[in-house]
Amino acid sequence: MAEFPSVAWFEAVAGVFNSDESYRGAGGGQCHCQAGIKVGKRVFLLVFEGFECAEVREVDVSELEPVDFYLEMPLKDWKAMVQDIAANGAASLHYTLNTLDLNREAGLSHSVHGDQYREDLFFRYNQTFQFFFDASARIKTTFAR
Amino acid sequence: MAKAKASQAAADSKQGQPGAIEGIPQPKFDWAGRSNQWGTRVKPGKHGLRLGDLNVGIYGEIPEHWPDQTRNPRGAIARKGVPPVGYSIRDKAGLWADSAADLYEEAIQRRWAPATDVPWETIKPLNEGLERAICQVCTELCQYANGDIEAISSWQHQMSYGYHEVKQFLATASFDGARQYEAFRKRALCNGGGLGLEGPGKVNRMILESRGGWSEAVTYLFLLRGTFTMTMLRYLERAAYNDAERFLYRHTLQDKARHLTYGLEHLQYAIAHQEDMALIMQQLMFIGDRVFAREMRDNVLREALAVIFAGGIEKAGSEGMAVYREMMTDFMETYLGHCSWLGVKRNLEMMPQLLTQYVTRA
Repeated sequence: MAEFPSVAWFEAVAGVFNSDESYRGAGGGQCHCQAGIKVGKRVFLLVFEGFECAEVREVDVSELEPVDFYLEMPLKDWKAMVQDIAANGAASLHYTLNTLDLNREAGLSHSVHGDQYREDLFFRYNQTFQFFFDASARIKTTFAR
Repeated sequence: MAKAKASQAAADSKQGQPGAIEGIPQPKFDWAGRSNQWGTRVKPGKHGLRLGDLNVGIYGEIPEHWPDQTRNPRGAIARKGVPPVGYSIRDKAGLWADSAADLYEEAIQRRWAPATDVPWETIKPLNEGLERAICQVCTELCQYANGDIEAISSWQHQMSYGYHEVKQFLATASFDGARQYEAFRKRALCNGGGLGLEGPGKVNRMILESRGGWSEAVTYLFLLRGTFTMTMLRYLERAAYNDAERFLYRHTLQDKARHLTYGLEHLQYAIAHQEDMALIMQQLMFIGDRVFAREMRDNVLREALAVIFAGGIEKAGSEGMAVYREMMTDFMETYLGHCSWLGVKRNLEMMPQLLTQYVTRA
């Protein structure tokens, strides 16, 4: 049981993601990037290296500078996504990262630096990030109030 | 037996080599000591032994100009007298992107097999209007893929081997095109429908007839058409009717994103190394935008997409077209954003109204 959002929750998801080899094929694969996750005012930094999410830490918003891109939604929207994944075993058609990015007025994926090359990693590694969040279906989640 | 052994020994002694066979030239092994750099020991790193890891010592020297006109692998000793192949692209600025080796590895890593990876069983019968629309879009995506394959392969043989990282990456891009063709043909033929109407093909023709160099083809193929295809795939993924379609769109999107990364990085490199390249691109886009707009005047793709976005023909004219408009707005914003990132100035007043009508932000 882990509370979303927290380092413990992301680490638990990373544990599932890193140990399941099925995430490495069929369009998944090695991934080298730093992604930020902004949940309301809280910010988490995920470091992907090779087949694994190698590091998770909570950072200050000012520390988003090194990330290639960051995903931002208010807690209620993250909650809806995580609940959908838990209910379906993977994101349903309305909750994929791409759909959320398109459906939300402000989008989902953002960049601090405006570097196109790094921003595009969201699309190049899209399946990996989707696999990562889909892995959360296999942990029990509670939500911060 | 002893007699046979004695006879062999005599023959060996005649040839000066144990086990030598009469009539076969005696090996000299005079090639064996020749190498521009011997003793190279590249070790696999944390992520395996990658193509880019091999760029050590002389093997990593990638010159601005590659005069060799043969298929001599970079770093090998050139043989005298080999007839030239006639590569036209021998300047690094004409094709290079620093990420090419990594993108090659990424393409290999992220390969997927439409035959077995796509959950085809999730496709269920759809209403006929919707099925026809999906099949029409699949038909045009197949046609785009054909254009990708032909465009890339028509330049491949003109690129010299000094820049093998790019050639190898483009080989994967060409294969991605083959897979795109396969995947969308399968989708069109697996649910009671069939292929639809051939698209106008004006952009394909423009890409294929680019004569000004690979960078020109990259501008049209990856920057213009690629950005449009990526945007369309994103909207199709959102509007997918089953897991199989979602898989197809999302995985093709990943492939296209890789191509776009190469395209943008190459154009950035070309602009940085050729004084008037940004200006040339401005002119190329002026032409490309017009051809693209002419293709977009065709109602078939637009209407098919609207049907998909609206869930059927009934609301295609209203809801579907509204989403189509949203898609085109996103496309223009992304496309102009890429131009701006590259430092290529665009004058909206010089662009076709059919495209600028979708520009909502200056």
